[in-house]
Amino acid sequence: MADLGRAALVVSLGLVVYALVAGSAAAVTNRRRLAVSARNALFCAFGSTAIASAVLALALVRHDFSFVYVAAHTNRTLSTAYALSAFWGGQEGSLLLWLLVLTGFGALAVALNRTLLRDLTVWVVPVLGGIGTFFAFVLVAVASPFATQTATVDGAGLTPSLQNPYMVAHPPMLYLGYVGLAIPFAFAAGAMLSGRTDERWIVATRRWTLVAWMFLGFGQLLGAHWAYVEVGWGGYYAWDPVENAALMPWLAATAFLHSVMIQERKGMLKVWNMVLVALAFELSIFGTFLTRSGVVNSIHSFSKSPIGAWFLGFVVISSLFSLGLIMWRLPLLKARTKLESPLSREAAFLYNNLLLVALCLTVLWGVLFPIVTQLVKGETRTIGRPYYDFFLRSFGLPLLLLMGIGPLIAWRRTSVRALARTLAWPVAVTLASGVVLVALGAGSSRPGLIAYTFSAFVLATIVLELVRGTRATGSVARLVSRNRRRYGGYVVHAAVVLLAIGVAGSSAYGSSTERRLTPGESVSVAGYTLTLRDVERKRVPNAVETRAVLDVDGRWAGTLSSGDNHYVNPPEPSREIGLRTNWLRAEDLYVIADSANPKTKVAFVRVLVKPLVNLIWVAGIVFVLGSAIALWPDAREQRRLATRLAPARA
Amino acid sequence: MLAVFLLYTVLRGSSTPTLTPSQLANHTGKLAVVGVVVAPLRGDSHSSTGLRFGLRNIDGRSGVVPVVYRGDNPPPLFKVGRNVVVSGSYAHGSLTGDNVVTKCPSKYTSPPASKAA
Repeated sequence: MADLGRAALVVSLGLVVYALVAGSAAAVTNRRRLAVSARNALFCAFGSTAIASAVLALALVRHDFSFVYVAAHTNRTLSTAYALSAFWGGQEGSLLLWLLVLTGFGALAVALNRTLLRDLTVWVVPVLGGIGTFFAFVLVAVASPFATQTATVDGAGLTPSLQNPYMVAHPPMLYLGYVGLAIPFAFAAGAMLSGRTDERWIVATRRWTLVAWMFLGFGQLLGAHWAYVEVGWGGYYAWDPVENAALMPWLAATAFLHSVMIQERKGMLKVWNMVLVALAFELSIFGTFLTRSGVVNSIHSFSKSPIGAWFLGFVVISSLFSLGLIMWRLPLLKARTKLESPLSREAAFLYNNLLLVALCLTVLWGVLFPIVTQLVKGETRTIGRPYYDFFLRSFGLPLLLLMGIGPLIAWRRTSVRALARTLAWPVAVTLASGVVLVALGAGSSRPGLIAYTFSAFVLATIVLELVRGTRATGSVARLVSRNRRRYGGYVVHAAVVLLAIGVAGSSAYGSSTERRLTPGESVSVAGYTLTLRDVERKRVPNAVETRAVLDVDGRWAGTLSSGDNHYVNPPEPSREIGLRTNWLRAEDLYVIADSANPKTKVAFVRVLVKPLVNLIWVAGIVFVLGSAIALWPDAREQRRLATRLAPARA
Repeated sequence: MLAVFLLYTVLRGSSTPTLTPSQLANHTGKLAVVGVVVAPLRGDSHSSTGLRFGLRNIDGRSGVVPVVYRGDNPPPLFKVGRNVVVSGSYAHGSLTGDNVVTKCPSKYTSPPASKAA
């Protein structure tokens, strides 16, 4: 079995190398049959990688411990679903998943565009072949999932905290996002290599970018929710390098999704878009380098892996390749028009882009800071939450405001008076919201109050747009179906508003307290009183559970338990929180019991009340809904684009 | 401009030295130490005497730095042999910790080379 997997990977490597070499030769010499064979090699590479993936999946499900990878990441007690999730639970398997998605996405994107964009796809194939060559080489020569050993009786198992449905979905979602960004990158490179730098590559890859961006965004929220319910520290995002590695390409892709609209409509920002698409792709690779090289300390891993140096090399080479291409094609990337006024839709998009990229670079700087200080001062220094929180407020709050202003401002130019007239209702709603919020006590946190009022402003502008549009078309459904991209975007904006309210509410207005309790003693916080009833310990299959049982009174009456589990196989502990969600208030009562001792009946209990935190998870669902609306095929839009791009095709 | 802005903010003092036990010799004050937990583990983080343990370089090439940790219980995965980051103050050859971050169960670590065929 392992031999079949190894052989399939070697075949994949041969095929992607052929797609790179033959594809480049075909594009340079304009040999059509050679180009077709290079394209077919890319398709076949997906097939052979799928065979290798099936071999690994089968070995995981069968608990075949003659595979080193299977023995290191699973054991016999794991259910089939969790055994299968170990596919992306380890380094070698996740690299294989990366190659599988890359060749699959690449083959599909090339197949769908091979007729309409023939002159461009002949160059896309070798670019995808080049990226595939890197991953296939690493899998064959550096980190093979098919290394074998004398079969052991049982495996090391999957850490209990990873045996969680969120962990089944979160990593592959991130991979779909990371790898998906390779498609717009390959088409952008193809456009520059072929000299066809008009808007066609953007039109061809818009949905690919959206899909990658959606998976990356939703995957991060799933990871945040896993951390919240499973890790048990009361938070959901720690600004850890591994988390930042996913956030950075998402921010760059968000900027790209906005700025391509300016290029499509006005023929502006062509160089900027090339830079952004390259930045998003390079950051997705760079994040992998950071997390797997061990060059920065992360709560996720400290271990140094041999693939880090390979990833760094690939980032350097592909960045130089992108930079070289952009410099070479600068004359072709000149804007058709210029920015006419700083008060225009185009300018609002530009400000949005600058803020998003500034936030992205801020996070990058924070991640790189330990490396830079080590190189410059010979001492590693790290920067923590205050740095990130400061810049999130500095760039995030103006971004939130722009999200409301941007859709209402006219293209080309507008006057201050016209803008004031347009914004009158949303500003009135915002001021009224601010007064109500202060009256309700939200003035205790200035950033929180600003986030809330800006959120009210954005929601007011979205409602205003929907009301205006519905008046013109007769119904909301008709309005949305006529311009899915625009109104899908508004739904995504609403998701960002929910996220902002959830983050502001849970961080700026949360309450917490901690006490040592014995049975009968109580702790009170934010209208809840928790009384320790007992500390219990019981054996369950594969674990010993210890729980502090607390009776809750006040704003909610009931019982909550928290403590820890000590598993037998693998012999690992896990913290188990007590959680009560009030969906009407979107609020959580979150209990962490430390050192719960069934003999002394003592427990150290920390209680957190997190207002509106559940809006963060609701935002995830709204985000996917908005993305799906924007992704849905839109015949009108396709006709409009076809008409606009007809001269370019001719 | 952005770089200057960032540098300015960073130089305002929001960064913390992150060292290994072998690098602690000439340092005092607030810092973070990355190392592996060494036995014996004694006491309780909630008590006045605190939780006591040692830290050594992850590569094993250092002496043991004594740590007194007070505060919330360390994360569940905290135990002898685990890689951790302890934040706190270092003085007179001892680290007084107020925060411990334990290595998350790694999804990215290669199996030991000796196991491979």
